[in-house]
Amino acid sequence: MSATLVSVGGMTQSFDKAFDKDSRAEAPIRAEEVTALRGFLDYHRDTLRWKCSGLTQEQLAQVHEPSTMTLGGMMKHLALNEVGWFGQTLAGEPYPPPFDGIDWDADPDWEWRTARDDSPADQWALYDECVRRADAAIDQALARGGLDAESVQQSSSQGAFSLRWILLHMIEEYARHNGQADLIRESIDGATGE
Amino acid sequence: MSETSADLRVDPPLHGDEASTLRSFLTFHRDTFRWKCSGLTADQLAQPLPPSDMTLGGMMKHLAVVESGWFEKTFAGGERMPPFDVVDWDADPDWEWHTAQDDTAEELRALFDEAVRRADAVVDDALTRGGLEQESVRRSRHEDSTFSLRWILVHMIEEYARHNGHADLIRESIDGQTGE
Repeated sequence: MSATLVSVGGMTQSFDKAFDKDSRAEAPIRAEEVTALRGFLDYHRDTLRWKCSGLTQEQLAQVHEPSTMTLGGMMKHLALNEVGWFGQTLAGEPYPPPFDGIDWDADPDWEWRTARDDSPADQWALYDECVRRADAAIDQALARGGLDAESVQQSSSQGAFSLRWILLHMIEEYARHNGQADLIRESIDGATGE
Repeated sequence: MSETSADLRVDPPLHGDEASTLRSFLTFHRDTFRWKCSGLTADQLAQPLPPSDMTLGGMMKHLAVVESGWFEKTFAGGERMPPFDVVDWDADPDWEWHTAQDDTAEELRALFDEAVRRADAVVDDALTRGGLEQESVRRSRHEDSTFSLRWILVHMIEEYARHNGHADLIRESIDGQTGE
């Protein structure tokens, strides 16, 4: 995900190279459970990349009223979800920077609010790094217990989460946000598509 | 379709087996969709959030055809339920989206509930005969393969979740209601 310089309307702007929709990972239509779940997760990660690709910092900070969500905020929110669910909850690892020093009780929407101050290159780099850490945590959990592997951190009332539950939750978390991204992206530049 | 509220939804169990976990997530998203469409008039169900032309009523009819299409037609090898069985889809591939505005809210909710009931009956029947590796009767149009029941269930979860993301923004634009 390297940043590029291109000319838009006579002005040179920095944004990430376009993510090609046709290069998205696909979930195989007949596969065992681990391959199927990881395939759907990768498909939605790539769908988010595609929905956010080729946009300037200003476009990534654009809202589709009356909602206050932005694509940049969403990318930072999903980066946080990756290291939150797979790193912190599943593996018991502390948040990596920049999420480690935040007072979440005082500022629960920090990642949504601060994304507008980050360059597209920084937003993409943070997102890719969090996905990389999440995949390493998934690999480790699968090695120790398969999809029934239990999370190191527990829920407030129902005990540990299985890796199966966390993977499915992340698929629906991504798909839900990608639905929101569909409408936000269409309002920015008219781009549509599943 | 009942007027489901957010807190009547059942959270998927944290350590269920594969089939019960998949079905619980699917039920959760069906109920989330019911909640996003609840308490709205036919006019509100036909209201888009421009520039998109999607509506909640069209989405209700679309998800009914998707339920029947994947479970009754593709997996079980039958036909789609009425009224979807006699539509000329080649001539009008978005038929369900643009005809929803002619249906009452009660008709849309009843159609959706019936599609879910039929889909669940297909899955119930399949799981009495085998597991999630069972293959669909009909094959993919894109690759020379059947679909596993596992793939169809996970696909339906992400299909619903994606549309619920659309529904989040459309509902907020109709009456300000938000929420996961």
